[in-house]
Amino acid sequence: MRNVAIVGLGHSKFGRRTDVNVAELAFESIKGAIEDSGVEKKEIQNVTLGSAGGWYEETLPAVLVNEYAGFEDVGTMRVEAACASGSAAVRSAYLSVASGEAEVAMAVGVEKMTEVDTLTAVELMGRSGSYLWEFENYGMTFPAYYALYAASHMSRYGTTEEDMARVAVKAHHYASMNPLAQFQKEITLEKALSSQVVSWPLKLYDACPITDGSAAVVLAGEEAASRLTDTPIWIRGIGFSSDSANLSKRADYVGLRATVDASRKAYAAAKVGPKDVDVATCHDCFTIAELMAYEDLGFCAKGEGAKLLREGQTEVGGMIPVNLDGGLKAKGHPIGATGVSMMVEISKQLRGEAGGNRQASIKNGVGLVHNVGGTGHYCYVTVLSRSR
Amino acid sequence: MADDNAPPTLHSKRSLTLRFNIPISKTSRFWDALGEGKFVTTKCEDCGKVTFPPQADCPNCLGGNPKWVELGTEAELLTFTHVQITPTSFVDHDPYLVAIGRLKEGMNVLAWVEGADPAKLKPGAKLRIESRKDAEGGPYYVFVLPDRGPARL
Repeated sequence: MRNVAIVGLGHSKFGRRTDVNVAELAFESIKGAIEDSGVEKKEIQNVTLGSAGGWYEETLPAVLVNEYAGFEDVGTMRVEAACASGSAAVRSAYLSVASGEAEVAMAVGVEKMTEVDTLTAVELMGRSGSYLWEFENYGMTFPAYYALYAASHMSRYGTTEEDMARVAVKAHHYASMNPLAQFQKEITLEKALSSQVVSWPLKLYDACPITDGSAAVVLAGEEAASRLTDTPIWIRGIGFSSDSANLSKRADYVGLRATVDASRKAYAAAKVGPKDVDVATCHDCFTIAELMAYEDLGFCAKGEGAKLLREGQTEVGGMIPVNLDGGLKAKGHPIGATGVSMMVEISKQLRGEAGGNRQASIKNGVGLVHNVGGTGHYCYVTVLSRSR
Repeated sequence: MADDNAPPTLHSKRSLTLRFNIPISKTSRFWDALGEGKFVTTKCEDCGKVTFPPQADCPNCLGGNPKWVELGTEAELLTFTHVQITPTSFVDHDPYLVAIGRLKEGMNVLAWVEGADPAKLKPGAKLRIESRKDAEGGPYYVFVLPDRGPARL
């Protein structure tokens, strides 16, 4: 397998984007990634689109997006791994370049979630698991699935609603410095704690919003990468895994087995460990998910996620800064775009281009993207590095 | 709701209602038994693997010889949530409690908890499974607290 680098980054404004349709939204990132890389569009041999779909009118978004962006005769597909569809798209493009099939490939993530009403979006996410056994009669929702984990984590390890609210406060803090984030304002602990209960113990400010957005990356083999950029960000290792569709089939509800397994595989492939990571994005669809991710990725011991956060270790200047783009919680979570957005963020961090007070200090040149699909149904962990 | 500054959108004229016919022939014994007040699942005749939810094909040895076995109805609460924002198709429901309980046989079950005070529910609480019928007569199962009287399954 050849070395593969991220050489171009594109990212739309995240939020309620009723000004654009799905193709127009994807185009914003495709254009950005092509311009950032300096690649000729015709050099891009295939385009993989990550999108969960179902909440917008188009059913073949890959070809529609390609037509709109003027891609002709490219190999393409839409991939789905729920909220990890973006990482799945990056992995597909990565394999194409690593295998030598393509010299340059593109991965795009896009989601338009606000074309249906909020409770319909809630329903579609709630059906994401085992429809017959956990939705048909019980009306599960995405917050409800993660609330089962939150309640168990609180009971087992003493994690509190205030600990979870601190994740939201941190997310909004960094989102306020990220002009592409959905939310631009800081929040107080009191505001998070007094927000409406969605599915106890999770409240409105424990939950990511419903978001429209897109992101894109250009991937290149060594030859094209050295021609195109002085700051290639190398994909050093990808680990992916999965867990049962039915939540009832899980052994416990205090961590995601898919994260533990995917990260172990990614660390082994990249020949690094959690202590080597300078900066990470963790999949914080809900605040409890970020705390569990600290533990499952090995940034701290099991049950000590809240302690790591309270000590400030996951902020700029801490041991392992996490979600300096605002995270899913405050940057927004356009399902299929999120994984690609995380690649963009960690690449920016490793290039030293995050800017202002949200740039992590880069020592080892290693960053980590943690992207979960559904409620730990899928997990992709990607290790990025300034060096091969 | 109208926002004078909102960008124009085309509210599509074509609406689509999706209602699925879900095949249950391979697990119909479960639903039939539930309607008769029994809680059963599949056990593989070849390797002995007991699976819940039931499935005709064994995920362990890939064998296709399921035997139906009756499960106990006592469970221990592992975790729970109180769903207050409900999805479109449950929009007329009051908030509901959902728990995952562990059966004595070791399998977990996810179901609503009926008649419990959310503030008093805790991991470790004892639960019992009972059958119910929905408005269309379809059977489903719920957890109840065992101090609510004799089993009605």
